[in-house]
Amino acid sequence: MRKCLVTAALTADALTKDYRSPIKEPGLMGGLRGLFDRRYKDTRAVDAVSFSIQEGELVGFLGANGAGKTTTLKMLAGLLTPTSGTARALGHVPWRREAAFQRRLSLVMGQRTQLWWELPAYETFRLNKDIYGLSEQEFRASLDELVDMLDLGAHLSVPVKKLSLGERMRAELAAALLHRPSLLLLDEPTIGLDVIMQKKVREFVRGYNKRTGAAILLTSHNMTDVVELCRRVIVIERGRLLYDGALDALVARYADHKILRARFSGPFDAAGLAALGTVMSAEEGRAALQVPRERVAASAAALLRDFPVADLDVEEVDIDDIVRRLFGGA
Amino acid sequence: MSGEIRRYARLWARTASMSMQAQLTYRLGSAGFLIGKVVRLVFFFAFVAAVFDHVQTVAGYTLLETALFFLTFNIVDMIAQVFFRGVYNARRTVNEGDFDFYLIQPCSPLLRMVCSSVDALDVITLFPVLAMTAVVLHRLPPLGFARGVLYAALTLNAVALVFAVHVAVAALTVRTQELENAIWIYRDVMFMGRFPVDVYAAPVRWALTFGVPIAVMTSFPAKAFLGLLSPAWIAYAFALSAAALAASLAYWRASVARYTSSSS
Amino acid sequence: MKKYLTAYSIALQETLQRRWTLLMDRVGGFAVVLSLYSFWNVLLGDKATFLGYTRPEMLTYVLIINVLRSFVFTGRGWLLVGEISSGRVSSYLVRPLRYEGYALALDLAQKTVHVGSAFLEIGLLVLIVRGGVFVPRDPAAWALFALAAAMASLIFFFLEFAVSTLAFWTSESGGPLFCFELFLQFAAGAFFPLDVLPEGLRRLLSATPFPYMVYFPARVLLQKIPPQEAVRMLAGESAWLAAAAAVAAAAWNRGLLSYAAEGG
Repeated sequence: MRKCLVTAALTADALTKDYRSPIKEPGLMGGLRGLFDRRYKDTRAVDAVSFSIQEGELVGFLGANGAGKTTTLKMLAGLLTPTSGTARALGHVPWRREAAFQRRLSLVMGQRTQLWWELPAYETFRLNKDIYGLSEQEFRASLDELVDMLDLGAHLSVPVKKLSLGERMRAELAAALLHRPSLLLLDEPTIGLDVIMQKKVREFVRGYNKRTGAAILLTSHNMTDVVELCRRVIVIERGRLLYDGALDALVARYADHKILRARFSGPFDAAGLAALGTVMSAEEGRAALQVPRERVAASAAALLRDFPVADLDVEEVDIDDIVRRLFGGA
Repeated sequence: MSGEIRRYARLWARTASMSMQAQLTYRLGSAGFLIGKVVRLVFFFAFVAAVFDHVQTVAGYTLLETALFFLTFNIVDMIAQVFFRGVYNARRTVNEGDFDFYLIQPCSPLLRMVCSSVDALDVITLFPVLAMTAVVLHRLPPLGFARGVLYAALTLNAVALVFAVHVAVAALTVRTQELENAIWIYRDVMFMGRFPVDVYAAPVRWALTFGVPIAVMTSFPAKAFLGLLSPAWIAYAFALSAAALAASLAYWRASVARYTSSSS
Repeated sequence: MKKYLTAYSIALQETLQRRWTLLMDRVGGFAVVLSLYSFWNVLLGDKATFLGYTRPEMLTYVLIINVLRSFVFTGRGWLLVGEISSGRVSSYLVRPLRYEGYALALDLAQKTVHVGSAFLEIGLLVLIVRGGVFVPRDPAAWALFALAAAMASLIFFFLEFAVSTLAFWTSESGGPLFCFELFLQFAAGAFFPLDVLPEGLRRLLSATPFPYMVYFPARVLLQKIPPQEAVRMLAGESAWLAAAAAVAAAAWNRGLLSYAAEGG
């Protein structure tokens, strides 16, 4: 039998999750009534979502707040049992929580920490060594590598509560990766970090993916994370799968136009620009035009021919805009 | 199997040491809790001793015998606090997401939730209680080695029963995420265990033996030591713990399966 | 004034909303009362009085404990500690309201629910215990009791408030608060009438505000204190109240200063 070259690290099949929450009736009488007769309502957080991720893939998981990203991630990590549907991760059903699965999985939540607050991060690392049953050798090798890559050396012996947010996030990543998981779920790993720190975390995630071939599923509010890391994205909205495919194709589908940015060497006919595309701005020797994709070449040529152009750029539409349009916003 | 047990023992020792280190960073707070606990112990002793200034026996028990009941209560209660401390933070563990990490790591989330924070202060207060118990046992007329063994066995049985209660409370917290501190009701109800169960009226006594089996946790060991417990009751005590453990573990598994994690 | 009323009403709804917490609180408190009564009942045995209390008087004392535990000992100390430590207290400081008044309004809401429930439980207890309760005929006793209890509640509120403000200086004020509350409940007579204590200890306690919280109101209602004496002691209690309020205000203001100095 021939071994498949690429195998699925993760498959979700019609995953569905309902939440139940009590309804609080307004006013004091409502409060009293709730004491004895409480009503509930069911909310469908994730609705029949299916996808599959191959080993070594790094996939972005997009959606507005409350779209069901975190719930999906939590089901795939085995934290939540779905209302219906199934999933397989590394050949296991996640919510059975088998040790063999858990030893190869990690979940990092940007707003949560597993580090012990009052103690240096190193103590939590030692704890994780025991939890994952790592030998002293494995622990050392893994730790040295992570400390090096994440530039953590000086911070290991400082109580976690004294670390900056960025330092803490890097320590968090180290704690989550000590056991070298082959499936990594990242929920908003760059939230709250400054731009430089975001970049560091991104570089690390990319490096980890390249080096270990781990499958990574990443959610982020920050489009830069997704653009720089992921070639493939999965988009969900209100619990439903909206798009699953290449980021480029998503851009092509929703970005039906490009932007021409020109700098002029002298006075120019601002009104004449309107014939070439939608004018976004035109002032002080600069202008920006929105031009439908199929007319980009013609418009650019006309611009160069009829206007005193000193410099011209052709840009893709901002990905943030695309996603905003995708989610039905403004 | 023995490898697993060794791993868990190592894990427990590691978390115990970590929580003690963490506690040491809060010196004033720790001192307050320690003094509070000592105050409670001393006051109750003063109270029991003061009562015996006015009477010879309480429900037929002498001062020494009453002290044995009270000390047994404290031993069981303190062992529970030392080893099952984590339940007191169950709600925070769930709400702040620590429980999420317990669930995805290859290690029993139950043991981590219930057992993995050790209160160094309770270890400190446990020693004087054990010493006082030894003194009381010594001062009582010699009752034989077998009684001593029975006392120890029933005390351990009581700890198992208390563990079952803690597991049930942990499960309840995981399920509802609403209970401010479900464990505090247990603490208040346990208050009834400070006195020999014989002080209560018959219906309450029955409730404490069969309903909320506090009598089994606190009165049974001392009664067995004093030779006041028939073999049938002893058998009941062990059977009850076994059943309670099985039931609370089943409830725990059901609750974890319905766990909803906290939002965000 | 209206804003405090609104705060009261919202807090009332919130207390009702968390029904499990409420139920647990009440069941736990009821267990304590039941065990105290049972213990005294056994001590009384066949005797007409114990420590000068008849059986109905003793039952009334225990019932008063139940009401006053709900009415006096339900402060917001732990919440205040949490709000200060987490910095959430800032959000009150920028609003046009006095935090003390706001906290008192919330506290009153909690007390309303708990006292209501305490009376329900009393009804239950009176039904199931034998021997009847002592009900004073003299309306003056009721009036004096109400006055004493109201002041006791305020003294507790301010004292707890003062201890909680430790949180401005240290993140570990939970320990001192815990210690303070435990000590207070004993010294107030919330577990047993202070008559049981040796003379010297009792005299020592009477120099503190603590006996005013349970022991004094209870004895007023039981008509164990002659009216003139009671009035004289009420004057003493109001002096303590003034002192407690002054200490709380001073601690709060100094705490705010140090809070502002550190920039929250």
